[in-house]
Amino acid sequence: MGTVETKEEVTFKLNGIDVTVPKGTTVMAAAKREKVAIPHFCWHPGLSVAGVCRFCMVKVKGRPKLEISCNLEATPGMEVDTVSDEVKDSHKWALEFHLANHPLDCPICDQAGECGLQKYYMSVGKYNSQMTEEKVLKPKALDVGDKLVLDTERCILCSRCVRFENEVTKTGGLGIFDRGDRAIIGTYGDEKITHNYQENLVDICPVGAFTSKEFRFKQRVWFLKEKSSICPGCSTGCAVSIHAKPEMETYFRVKPRYDKKVNGHWMCDKGREILSGLDKKERLENSYLQDQDEFSTCERPDMINHLNSLLSRFRGKKISLLVSAQYTNEEYERLFSFFVEKMGVRSIFQWRSKEEKLNDFDGILLRGDRNPNTRGLLDALRKFHILKEVENEFEACLTSSSDLIFAFSPLLSSSFSSFEEDLARLSKLKSCVCLFTTSYQARDYIGFNSLIPLVSFPEKTGHYTNYKGEKRELEGAYPSFIHEGFDVCELVNELDSNIKASLRA
Amino acid sequence: MAEHKILTEFEGIKDSRSLKTYLKHGGYQALAKAFQKKPEEIVALVKESGLRGRGGAGFPTGLKWSFIPAHIKERYLLCNNDEGEPGTFKDRYILELSPHMLIEGMIISAFAIGAHKAYIYTRCEFYEEIKWMNEAIDEAYKAGYLGKNILGSGFDFDLDHYIGAGAYICGEETGLISSLEGKKGQPKVKPPFPAVAGYLGKPTIVNNTETLAVVPWIVNHGASAYKAIGTEKSAGTKLFCISGPVKKPGVYEVPLGYPLKDFIEKEAGGLRDGVELKGVIPGGLSAPVLLPEEVEKVTLDYESMASFKSMLGSGAIIVIPKTQCMVELLKVTLDFYHHESCGQCTPCREGTGWLANIMKTVMQAKAKEDCYDKMYEVASHMEGRTICALSDAAAMPTKAIITKFKSELLNYLRRG
Repeated sequence: MGTVETKEEVTFKLNGIDVTVPKGTTVMAAAKREKVAIPHFCWHPGLSVAGVCRFCMVKVKGRPKLEISCNLEATPGMEVDTVSDEVKDSHKWALEFHLANHPLDCPICDQAGECGLQKYYMSVGKYNSQMTEEKVLKPKALDVGDKLVLDTERCILCSRCVRFENEVTKTGGLGIFDRGDRAIIGTYGDEKITHNYQENLVDICPVGAFTSKEFRFKQRVWFLKEKSSICPGCSTGCAVSIHAKPEMETYFRVKPRYDKKVNGHWMCDKGREILSGLDKKERLENSYLQDQDEFSTCERPDMINHLNSLLSRFRGKKISLLVSAQYTNEEYERLFSFFVEKMGVRSIFQWRSKEEKLNDFDGILLRGDRNPNTRGLLDALRKFHILKEVENEFEACLTSSSDLIFAFSPLLSSSFSSFEEDLARLSKLKSCVCLFTTSYQARDYIGFNSLIPLVSFPEKTGHYTNYKGEKRELEGAYPSFIHEGFDVCELVNELDSNIKASLRA
Repeated sequence: MAEHKILTEFEGIKDSRSLKTYLKHGGYQALAKAFQKKPEEIVALVKESGLRGRGGAGFPTGLKWSFIPAHIKERYLLCNNDEGEPGTFKDRYILELSPHMLIEGMIISAFAIGAHKAYIYTRCEFYEEIKWMNEAIDEAYKAGYLGKNILGSGFDFDLDHYIGAGAYICGEETGLISSLEGKKGQPKVKPPFPAVAGYLGKPTIVNNTETLAVVPWIVNHGASAYKAIGTEKSAGTKLFCISGPVKKPGVYEVPLGYPLKDFIEKEAGGLRDGVELKGVIPGGLSAPVLLPEEVEKVTLDYESMASFKSMLGSGAIIVIPKTQCMVELLKVTLDFYHHESCGQCTPCREGTGWLANIMKTVMQAKAKEDCYDKMYEVASHMEGRTICALSDAAAMPTKAIITKFKSELLNYLRRG
């Protein structure tokens, strides 16, 4: 590690191997770091210790009883065993107790495939159930929030959801009612959970008790691919993974990834909606251009030729860029190195939402700046000696008497409430406007000189810089199912090489 | 057996609960003495006396007191007067005889541990005792034993009486703390222990009523006088409450180490005529049952009980006659723990229900013969696996009854 650790450290033995951790680390956390699997349900690294599932038992040499590792601080010289027969037997029985009253309805349960009970049955269970008595029946399919369905029969009462409500959102919307094996999770009275972090309850629920209304019954999870990305929903830029079925050309869901400095373990429900504009039917699939008073589709090479000819026709005229803050650092870099450095473009306008409340913050993750890369855009401009503050310069662009405008529209049109109005106004400009966009709505505005379909954020790699300057990578790119879609960097590269060629000619 | 009347000193005395009577018999003199000492001297005195917690676990009281971290000044003393262990009715007897003895014990104990606020947590079913306790607290406030600058010592101390809602689990010390905090009565995961972070997250000592009530006597008579009573490791006297078919069921105070057989014969007057002994549950329902031959040998102290794989517990002695069906006894036992499990820890939540459910199938003649083996295994895996001892409290008597009365249990099944 590059940083200086001033904290005191302790060394203890984990299954006979010396492990050194900062003082105060629990055996569970140390084991997780060392990739030693200790089964657990109630422990979650983002929540307080409940110590109720009694699954994570380990043996400390010299102590009479097994102990839960989630609440066991590693102390110097401690010898911890997680693999002896005694410990394994405790794990097996803890699982048997968890499953005693579980309905075992995996075939119709959405959690199947990513369920803790299934996972642990295969790793520490594999027993023949001795539970032949009648099971306790509890309420099922409860509507407890606009994004949530609760099945209290599947619930193992690990209390993660209750702690999330108490500690993260601080809304305290859930409680455990009644006691013993009659205990159930629920909301108070008829109240519903309404906050913007509901889907986290689905994520942290280790079983199928909380399922997502949005995702329920849409897809079996083992058919889904996962790729790491960054949520473009606001300037926090939460680390996410995008779950999709590429062969179906469909995105299914977004889940948060752990990022200590950015979002911890969570993300908001608004962020889960980022896939909504990415369905094929909502995307601009083809290039369109004005040709002899007709606005019609064209092939990729035709569009490149068209853009090349525009660039040579407007050489020496006033060319402007209207840019939203939803592109990657790499895209900005490439755009500006071509347009600013090579083409000498100096008039660059920020395209932002009209009703933006820039300084809003919900106290958890969601920020008023609904663009992922405001900071990256300004940083990139600064690099090309264009100094700007955050400002919506849409009006200024319209009145800038530009001869040719390249407009890079927001990729997540849902973050601009005035998006359609803006499109309408742009399309009516006499000056020639080329719109780079993902939105199919743009087709309806036939006044544009050309429409260029783009790939969207799950389909590209690159970086965003969040509100506090953390650069994060969109690591994995799905193949775009918009086959005619352009990648901004590739497109600019082509234009660049054509310019070079024409200069040489 | 009237040799040592410490807790039962006021037995047979008229108007024993009043402050006037208490003062006439030397009440609150121990408090005056205590104020002459340093708090740590009282902690040392109690340590030296060998006093162990009378609620059931028998943890050394002085040692418990010494766990409070020195640097945190806001501390609490809680009196566990929930007395929920089935068969137990000895703490209420202290309130019936002399609530001031408890108040004096609490003031001294609070002074020793540096607490200025204490609560008595009493179960709601003790209607009369609640009234008596409240009256005594009022009297003590009026007389200046509670409140500001007690007896001119400069020590301030407030005592409140809190009435629980009747959950067994609230008699567990951290369950009691949760309940007192206004939360659902559920034990808290340890560490931290209450002495470090208890009520409202502050250092808290929870002691049983009987434990606290004996403190004035120890201050008055000295540690060695107390230690001289009882056995080497189980010092002092204890209240035992005996129920079942004996001639004189009730509460009796005897020195620890007193033979159980003598207790039944001499204190309780022996079994009722024509009754044959089947077994004895010696320390409340969660204590494993003893067979008649074990009852002959065992003595009423922590060590002897442990050597017979049972426990002294709360001191509730339940006598079981030959005519008692052990299947029914096991059924009601398990129904109780199933009903009272807070449901927090999985092995207890699921295990208590499971065991009770198996007993239901036994009663309905639907069970197979191996059901008791299954119960034994389930119970074994409930033991020592949970936050509090309720799971063990259900498992231990189950295992004992299955081991000691297996043939009777099997015959019940075969009878059809």
